[in-house]
Amino acid sequence: MALMQIHDPAAAPRPIGIDLGTTHSLVAYQPLIGGPTCLTDCDGDALVPSVVHYAEQGKTVVGKDAQRLAQDFPQDTIVSVKRFMGRGADDPETRRLGPYRFASETGPVVQFQVAGGRVVNPVEVSAEILRALRENAEAELGGVGGAVITVPAYFDDAQRQATKDAARLAGLSVLRLLNEPTAAALAYGLDSRENGVFAVYDLGGGTFDVTILVLDNGVFQVRSTGGDSQLGGDDMDRALAERLFQDLGLADGQARTPSQVRAVLTAARRIKHALTDVAEVEAEIEVPDAGTKVVRITRAELDALIKPLVERTALVCRRALRDAQLGVAELNGVILVGGATRVPLVRSYVAALFGREPLTSVDPDQVVAIGAAIHADILAGESERQDVLLLDVLPLSLGVEAMGGVAEKILPRNTPIPASAAQVFTTYADNQTGFELHVLQGERELANDCRSLARFTLKGIPPLPAGLARLEVRFDVDADGLLHVSAQETSTGIHQQIEVKPSYGLHDQDIERMLRDAYDHAEQDVAERALHEERVEAERICVATEKALRVDAALLEQGEGEAISAALQAVREAARGTVSHAIHSRIEELDRISKPFAGRRMDRSIAQALSGRAVTELERETVHARGIEPHLKTTEE
Amino acid sequence: MVTDPFATLGFAHQYEIDKSALDRRYRELQQALHPDRHASAPASARALTLNKAVAVNEAYRILRDDLKRGEALLQVLGGQVTEHTADPELLMEMMELREALTEARAEAAADEVARLAGVVAKHAEAARSELTTVFAQLQAVGEGEKKADALLAHAQQLLGRLRYYHRFHEEVARFEDEALGQV
Repeated sequence: MALMQIHDPAAAPRPIGIDLGTTHSLVAYQPLIGGPTCLTDCDGDALVPSVVHYAEQGKTVVGKDAQRLAQDFPQDTIVSVKRFMGRGADDPETRRLGPYRFASETGPVVQFQVAGGRVVNPVEVSAEILRALRENAEAELGGVGGAVITVPAYFDDAQRQATKDAARLAGLSVLRLLNEPTAAALAYGLDSRENGVFAVYDLGGGTFDVTILVLDNGVFQVRSTGGDSQLGGDDMDRALAERLFQDLGLADGQARTPSQVRAVLTAARRIKHALTDVAEVEAEIEVPDAGTKVVRITRAELDALIKPLVERTALVCRRALRDAQLGVAELNGVILVGGATRVPLVRSYVAALFGREPLTSVDPDQVVAIGAAIHADILAGESERQDVLLLDVLPLSLGVEAMGGVAEKILPRNTPIPASAAQVFTTYADNQTGFELHVLQGERELANDCRSLARFTLKGIPPLPAGLARLEVRFDVDADGLLHVSAQETSTGIHQQIEVKPSYGLHDQDIERMLRDAYDHAEQDVAERALHEERVEAERICVATEKALRVDAALLEQGEGEAISAALQAVREAARGTVSHAIHSRIEELDRISKPFAGRRMDRSIAQALSGRAVTELERETVHARGIEPHLKTTEE
Repeated sequence: MVTDPFATLGFAHQYEIDKSALDRRYRELQQALHPDRHASAPASARALTLNKAVAVNEAYRILRDDLKRGEALLQVLGGQVTEHTADPELLMEMMELREALTEARAEAAADEVARLAGVVAKHAEAARSELTTVFAQLQAVGEGEKKADALLAHAQQLLGRLRYYHRFHEEVARFEDEALGQV
């Protein structure tokens, strides 16, 4: 069936969901009528290969065309870049089977040496993919109004930040980073409308996640999550490729050329796919500089090669269940996500592990993008699914390095987010004015075994005798799972200047430079984008405020409704103009005027949520409701 | 700053808690407060609800944890949480259990580790049911009464026990993680 799309040039930009996968990426959106849909190319394919080719003259090619070039230009064509996101140049991933040239062996980011003497990092490569997806979506939908981008649940802070940086470079406004298993559960749950406890088993091209969540009338509450951000279908391909190299008489890793590595990895993937449907495959492999060879592989042989990988996932699943304080028998279903779950051994293994046949009714390749699109629609505020809510958790414990190199946990894994914690540190020397803090993520007891996130240097502490200056350091994790650190000297109340040195990834200055380079001298472009973003923001806030005025008119004080309406009109008027900072200041004004009203609405909804209780507790409730008034006054200042 | 997680989630000051009611209350509150619900709101309204959403998450985490809930209740009722315990009987008992655990861990005897975890789980359950009683008695007597001090001390001692049991289970979990062969 061919669908004709007619574009209204004045149509509102649509929010989109992006599954930025290791091997493939997808874009989905929620149309005004009907269910969420994946965007497809002219061949009708929704999957865009996550492959970027860098040509000699500085041109880049993304997707299928880049994939075709991978064979002839194995070192200039970056495949599975996601596995390098948020990783240092010395990461073990850089030493695994692959054809790349790395520009350096040390430093906070992986650097690929590509054609024309260019050096690119994974954030830039991912940004190329995202830019291609954005341009495609803009052409298809007329305009893109923000994106929900999915990440593996087990991604650490550095990997999440790298993803967000890539989106920024690609000119996308990120509505939310959403965990892939949660996105999949959203797509499934809304499909089946079934309440209960579910396990999502997500084995993608490069990452493995398992998430245990409760679905209760539209609320998806993640109870625990676990995974391995370096385990996926790619590792199956590598295991099989090593075996193929033996068959081909190329057992010596040093003697292989990049073209041979790429050819054999590609062949391994094809054979793996073929073995999903048949028990034995005879494949002809064309190996550059080594001729054409015929190899014969049975499914049993593949199973033996990949069994250790599949067993690793089982261990992670058991721990996630333990963290959720649940047994296998208490699950209502297991959802399979990710292309690698098509492998028969994975299916049978998961069925045995959880004691039930897994659910596969939604296409495992598309389910994450569909979930992201639904969430993007909800965040944009116009969705009919107003009761749907996703409650997620921190995947890995956050902590700081304490005396003796011990990792001290500040927020344990599986803490519901957004979350915050504060820790007080004291100075150890007289007149000490600086302080260094090493922030870690991971479960191990020693700081050296955890992942280093950043080193924070606090400056400007008032000179006091040792132990008298008390530094309260706050760790805030937002709904994207990203960490923000701030510090205050509590005896003087002075906010500390913090210098952040991320252990992995890019500095803010690096991103700024790349943004400038990306736009080159096209300042017009930058200004246009800023104006566009302010307009989208203005419209969103106006729509939300109008709705609040309509629904909660009873909470308005005398004259307040008129004042808010006037401020709202001023925003609309500014948005019709072309000065982005004028729009910005009108939005701020509306914010200031509507704040007390927003506070009353919040307190009323809290009181409502607390009201569903036994009669004996009613008295307490009124006491509590009274306690809210002073709180409001303090926030108004 | 001491906050009362029971008040935040609208629960009575009792140790025993209906966890499914707690889960339900938590979800209802987040329906109103979660940042996703306010994605289109102006900045200060977003900040207002975000702070509340964080507080609700924190209170939920405390009330869902048997040890943290007890410590919070002790504080709410005027007691002090202290890490120290001078309960020689408990120390003796834990020393023996830990030795047995270390031995079982060294031999990777999963069955023995599971058996020890079961023994400690029983002890923990007994401590929890005693805590329920003590906290209920505390609620019944007025603050500052002589009897209240004795009850607070008793609750403190029981929480000390529970803390040891929790640590024991953390170590069991570490053993399981080691057996999983990964971080």
